[in-house]
Amino acid sequence: MNGNHYLKIGSKTLFLTMFALLLAYGSQAQSTISGVVRSEGDKETIPGVSVLVKGTTRGSVTDLDGRFELNASPGETLSVSYIGYTTKEVPVQTGLTSYDIVLTSSMSDLTEVVVVGYGSQLKKEITGAVQTIAGDDLIDIPVPLMAQKLQGQLAGVQINQTTGQPGRGMNVRIRGQLSVSAGSEPLYVVDGFPITGDISTLNPDEIQDITVLKDAASTSLYGSRAANGVVLITTKRGKAGQSSVSLNVYRGIQNVPHYNRLEMMDAVEFAQFKKEYFEDAGRPVPAMFQNPSQYEGQTQDWYDALLQTSPISNYSLTINNNTEKMRTSIVAGFFDQEGVVLNTDYERFSLRINSDFKASDKLTVGFNLAPTYIRDNIPRTDGSRGTGILFNALHTWPNMPIYDDNGELTYFNRFPSETGNIFAYPNYVRSALEITNETKETNLLSNAYVQYQPIEGLEFKSTVNAEIRNDRFFYFNPSTATPGMNQAIPTVARSTRDDREIFSWLNENTVTYTKSINDHNFQLLGGFTNQYFRLDRTQVVGDTYADDRLPTIQGALNISRGSTISDVQEWSLTSFLSRLTYNYQGKYLLTASIRADGSSRFGSENRWGLFPSVSAGWVMSDEGFLSTSDKVSFMKMRGSYGVTGNNNIGNYTQYALVNNTVNHVFNNTVVPGAAVTSLQNPFLGWETTHQFDIGLDLGLFDDRIQFVYDFYTKNTTNLLYNVQIPQEAGFGSITDNIGEIKFWGHEFSITTRNTQGKLLWTTNANISFNRNEVIELAEGIDRVYGSHHITQVGQPFGQFYGLRKLGNYMNEEDLNSSPQVPGRSRVGSIKLEDINGDGIITIGGNNDDRTIIGNPFPDFTYGITNNFKYGKWDMNIITSGSHGNQLYMLHLFSTANLDGVFNMVRKATDRFRSPEDPGEGIFGTTVGGGNVTGIERDWANSNFVWDASFLSIKNITLGFNAGAIANVVKSARFYASVQNVFIFTPYWGGPNPEVSQQGNGQGDGGNLSPGLDLTGYPVPRTFTVGANFTF
Amino acid sequence: MKKISIYIALLGIIMSSCEDFLTIAPETSLSSATFYKTETDFQQAVNAAYAPLRTITNDRSWLLTEMRSDNTIYARNINFGATEQQEDLSDHSLPDAQGITTNVHVLNQYRQDYLIIARTNQILTLIDDVEFNQAAKDNLKGQTLFLRGYAYYELARYFGSVPLHLEPVTTREEAALPLAPESEVYAQIISDIQAAINLLPIRSQQGVGRASKGSAQMLLADVFITQKRWAEAETLLKAIVNSGEYELIPNYEDVFSESVGNKNTKESLFEIQYLEGPQGLQSSFLYSFMPRPISLQELQPITGTSNPQPLDGEGNNIPTPDMIAAYEDGDLRKDASIAYVEISGSDRADKVYPYIKKYAKHHALHGNHGINWPIYRYAEVLLFLAEALNEQGKTTEAAGHLNTIRSRAGLANTTASSQADMREAIFKERRVELAFENKRWFDITRADRVQEIIGAFGARALANPLDYYYPAGATFRSIAFTNITKFYLLPAAEAELTPHF
Repeated sequence: MNGNHYLKIGSKTLFLTMFALLLAYGSQAQSTISGVVRSEGDKETIPGVSVLVKGTTRGSVTDLDGRFELNASPGETLSVSYIGYTTKEVPVQTGLTSYDIVLTSSMSDLTEVVVVGYGSQLKKEITGAVQTIAGDDLIDIPVPLMAQKLQGQLAGVQINQTTGQPGRGMNVRIRGQLSVSAGSEPLYVVDGFPITGDISTLNPDEIQDITVLKDAASTSLYGSRAANGVVLITTKRGKAGQSSVSLNVYRGIQNVPHYNRLEMMDAVEFAQFKKEYFEDAGRPVPAMFQNPSQYEGQTQDWYDALLQTSPISNYSLTINNNTEKMRTSIVAGFFDQEGVVLNTDYERFSLRINSDFKASDKLTVGFNLAPTYIRDNIPRTDGSRGTGILFNALHTWPNMPIYDDNGELTYFNRFPSETGNIFAYPNYVRSALEITNETKETNLLSNAYVQYQPIEGLEFKSTVNAEIRNDRFFYFNPSTATPGMNQAIPTVARSTRDDREIFSWLNENTVTYTKSINDHNFQLLGGFTNQYFRLDRTQVVGDTYADDRLPTIQGALNISRGSTISDVQEWSLTSFLSRLTYNYQGKYLLTASIRADGSSRFGSENRWGLFPSVSAGWVMSDEGFLSTSDKVSFMKMRGSYGVTGNNNIGNYTQYALVNNTVNHVFNNTVVPGAAVTSLQNPFLGWETTHQFDIGLDLGLFDDRIQFVYDFYTKNTTNLLYNVQIPQEAGFGSITDNIGEIKFWGHEFSITTRNTQGKLLWTTNANISFNRNEVIELAEGIDRVYGSHHITQVGQPFGQFYGLRKLGNYMNEEDLNSSPQVPGRSRVGSIKLEDINGDGIITIGGNNDDRTIIGNPFPDFTYGITNNFKYGKWDMNIITSGSHGNQLYMLHLFSTANLDGVFNMVRKATDRFRSPEDPGEGIFGTTVGGGNVTGIERDWANSNFVWDASFLSIKNITLGFNAGAIANVVKSARFYASVQNVFIFTPYWGGPNPEVSQQGNGQGDGGNLSPGLDLTGYPVPRTFTVGANFTF
Repeated sequence: MKKISIYIALLGIIMSSCEDFLTIAPETSLSSATFYKTETDFQQAVNAAYAPLRTITNDRSWLLTEMRSDNTIYARNINFGATEQQEDLSDHSLPDAQGITTNVHVLNQYRQDYLIIARTNQILTLIDDVEFNQAAKDNLKGQTLFLRGYAYYELARYFGSVPLHLEPVTTREEAALPLAPESEVYAQIISDIQAAINLLPIRSQQGVGRASKGSAQMLLADVFITQKRWAEAETLLKAIVNSGEYELIPNYEDVFSESVGNKNTKESLFEIQYLEGPQGLQSSFLYSFMPRPISLQELQPITGTSNPQPLDGEGNNIPTPDMIAAYEDGDLRKDASIAYVEISGSDRADKVYPYIKKYAKHHALHGNHGINWPIYRYAEVLLFLAEALNEQGKTTEAAGHLNTIRSRAGLANTTASSQADMREAIFKERRVELAFENKRWFDITRADRVQEIIGAFGARALANPLDYYYPAGATFRSIAFTNITKFYLLPAAEAELTPHF
């Protein structure tokens, strides 16, 4: 086939042929009419609009100039529809052969077809809680990941960027779902394939639309993987009659603004602090600090030295080539981002080819092929003292030189011990520059399908999907650099190689039968699927290199046996599924579905899970009593109930594993040892979530106001949990399904077209209230501890837990009349609440004074997007916010270490020094050393907990539609965009109130410890200019 | 319709193979269903039962025993906080509340002992069901019983009354057991070790470094001495002496393991084995015993490594002035056991600190040595024998054994002649002969002299903090030496999980 040929004349030829055929059936009265379709506002013509003669099979599609032509008789009605616009009906009038039709844009047209699990449905007839976003609406936002683009735009979905590392760190939670130890990320389904890897490999420019399934009725067809919600991603496919080439380009720069950085002491303040520290302790002041003003202008800003202004660019080329039989869409992309931290970068090459071939009227086959290559390098920027370059740089002494007298980077700094410098500080600028921490990922996602319709209404579909991935990770620190704290240089050069090969396949076979009898419309779906996953992993860790230039495995003097891993992870899943959809007149809607999942992960005594759901809807606006109302244009009530599961429970958790590397040695000879290291549980199963949802969809004033409300309540039971057992058993825990968490919440979203006409202004706003409460844990256990957290029956999950600070002991009298930490409290030290009233302050044990001191979860999250169109100009402002959430400012254990060991937050200048000079009240006295200051620093307490509510202006984009340029470019649009414009927040502990050190939902066991701030990679502010061209 | 039936037939085929498709056993680790089937499996299981001993002796035995006694103490580095877990042990200020303690070292000791117990229970439950060579089986069972007895003996001496697990735990319900009375624990210990003695081959016929008949006899003698069952102890100790398997090494300095060489010598009845190198089986306790902050230049002559790194934090297990003073003039063991290092980073005016020299053996790389830890030496067999004899009134016979030890140390015969003087002489001799071998604390507890000795030691220390390595102007915490007890309280973290304490 000659593609170019069809590209040029395809549409006209095709449809003229079709019309000729249609004419044979048509009545003699038909005459040819023509017209042009334009969009309201800019009056631009719209290509690809479907124009149908109502009640017939006659129709056409507008060409590239928005023109159409078809045969119709007077008295018939043209139905003109296009995605994103309200369908318009135009009566054919006698004698009028040319029509100028204007379509009004619509944010969510109810005649729109929405992709749902294993099929699609008219939006109007959907009975579950789903939300759809078009890929094109996201294209301006200059970030590499889909989840970043969705921030603030979805009701009930909390999306946090926990670190600014390029290409990483997105935490997506649908309806606040969480678990004690299983993963909480939603299931991502790309073109029907539930992918096993990370969605971040997907080039967002390939996305046609995204459907988020929130309630159980929408998700239960995904059975044991659906409890965290499901995100369906449909990639771009060719549409009949359209062939085009388009190019999307943006370039920009990123930086880290100064306004919200964590303020640390400068060299003068630090020297002053040290001076006061020694004076207050009655010790001689070291020479270095006797004259703080000598450091005026000498501050070494270690944090700033790690940052840079860096470029970002994105190119994607889309080719659609569509003929009657073959439709192909190709998207080629290149994304390149240099990080705002030195030596960090991310680049992605991607290609997607989606093709559909219509072999006959009954048989369609198609395939998708999407290879991706991603390379990134992030030299251990995040983390605590052991691993986090940024954190370590922040609290490096500001009088330690970054450069030596020759202008070379220093290696490490350490002042004499009497200055209180007990740690060696490597030069973290050197660390960033010299450490390699690189991941290279090759990913191939492919799907193929056959679709066969033997008779009308009956459709068989078989798909084969495969995901092949290769991850190569390489870490190397030369002897001159380390990310850690307190290591002198030269240090031990270390390397880690971690190679993973992943292969997963899925075969799905479904049959769909659609039938209408009078006004009763049925659709029945049945199917079975098999999926298999295998990961092969090899890790080799070497250290002590003779030459830093050759970090090969053979160059290492030591291969660390303990860290060397070869591992295989496998799972398999077999499922049967069925769904019945029924409606009467499109007015009374009913859907019931069921999936049975059998998984290798489940214990042999508990292999199959059943996940049913039922939902119903009532389109009230179609009833007589409302259909005449001119205010209510649409109204639907819906309700659903269903059961879903979470199978992120580990692959071999059910088995009692024997570890055969518990080796020992006799007389310098290694002997192999083996021991049972876990208890078996043949009854192990999935986590079960029962969810009830009730919703209302409302359109007012001809859909100028569209409103969606949902209330949900769900109970997750059989929580996968490592039940701790007393270790007198020889084991620390047994993995079991226990306990129950209740979640409930309200979601509102509203879309308004505020103005029409020349200025088109629409607003999308959403707000979500998510709550949870722990109903039950294991028998005999009423609490589980996280790192600084408690999860306790009767309370919300993962609450901050520690001692409650009342202030500092202001004077002797205050000290003597208040409960103390025996032998440690003194005037000026932290004063804590004696919760159990026993007269002394104790942490842990049976006289524990700890209590709940904060909540990492927000009262509500919200987003507002405003869209303006004026003539050829458009502007988009996206904001998102969160209210009432708190962060645990964990880094204070270092950045406010009152022993003067590290550089400190500026606020510590105003600490307690004497009853006459009590300071701001946040930080206590330095006198008494670790025995006193250790309480404030090492005991979890409310001094670490701070309000992290925020309102973030995520993106502002200003665009200009230039229309056609010469004869080459059919349409062009230019835009400028700013990402992460400004964050309004009372939080002072660092630039990113969305940060979270642990609990990223990957089932890492950190779920119990959300909301810890260790000052991760800052999220950059990005300025870009871009252009979209269609040829 | 024909197509539909084909489809259904296909579905049936796929369903029938479902269970196979859905059964995936781990490929890179074994499961209990496939293990414990052969002699080799049991050999490996027994090897793994020894493994926790490495952690115990490397990481914390010395904290719970030697540093608990008057032999060693921490050397306070006032620039460091968060050191109370060690200090609380050393200066007897462990927090206790309602009979439990939050101290992490106490917890870990408890857990490591139960790890040995769980592994040995697993073996003992299954080994008789598998057919293999009887002699090999007896040897493995003997080692297993020795290790279980050893672990329970540690627990009994640290805690007194503990849960008595003799079967492997397979479900959550079986995990927590009530505390068994101390007498019941000791009865089990004696029965286990007695059985081990009957099953184990003598040292020369046993694999080097493994528990042999002599090791088990010595362990049981130790138990009997703790229980003051002197005659039974004497019988066992004499059996060891008469076995001809052991002898004293002429030069005291040569007794102790080096990083690679001089292991499992003729004087050794049982020692914890380590291996220098990257296999992860190394010891590193020498580094724990260094005063800090010590620079790499100061550390290197002690460790002899090619890549020394400075050490920060707080020094632990530093010999006390009391310990140093305990050596008689001319005792060759003093210089073999204690040396001195000057550390420039110290906050003290006197920057010279003593450190344990017994274990200061050169090795290749920083933080990684293979020095074995002595548990039972022939010298202690003789001292135990002297004690058992003296307690039965055979004071003269006792003196002979004591003098054997003294003469190797370059000292004259003991002047003690009364039973009481001899008791005290042996008590003192044990302190210096077995210094830093984790014996002192149990010598004090079994003699019921905790309050007397530690009370006096605490008073001296509190009065002279400068002598106990505090810098000028600093002193012990106010809670120091306020909680002097014979037993450790049971760990709080375990108490949270069991209904029994």
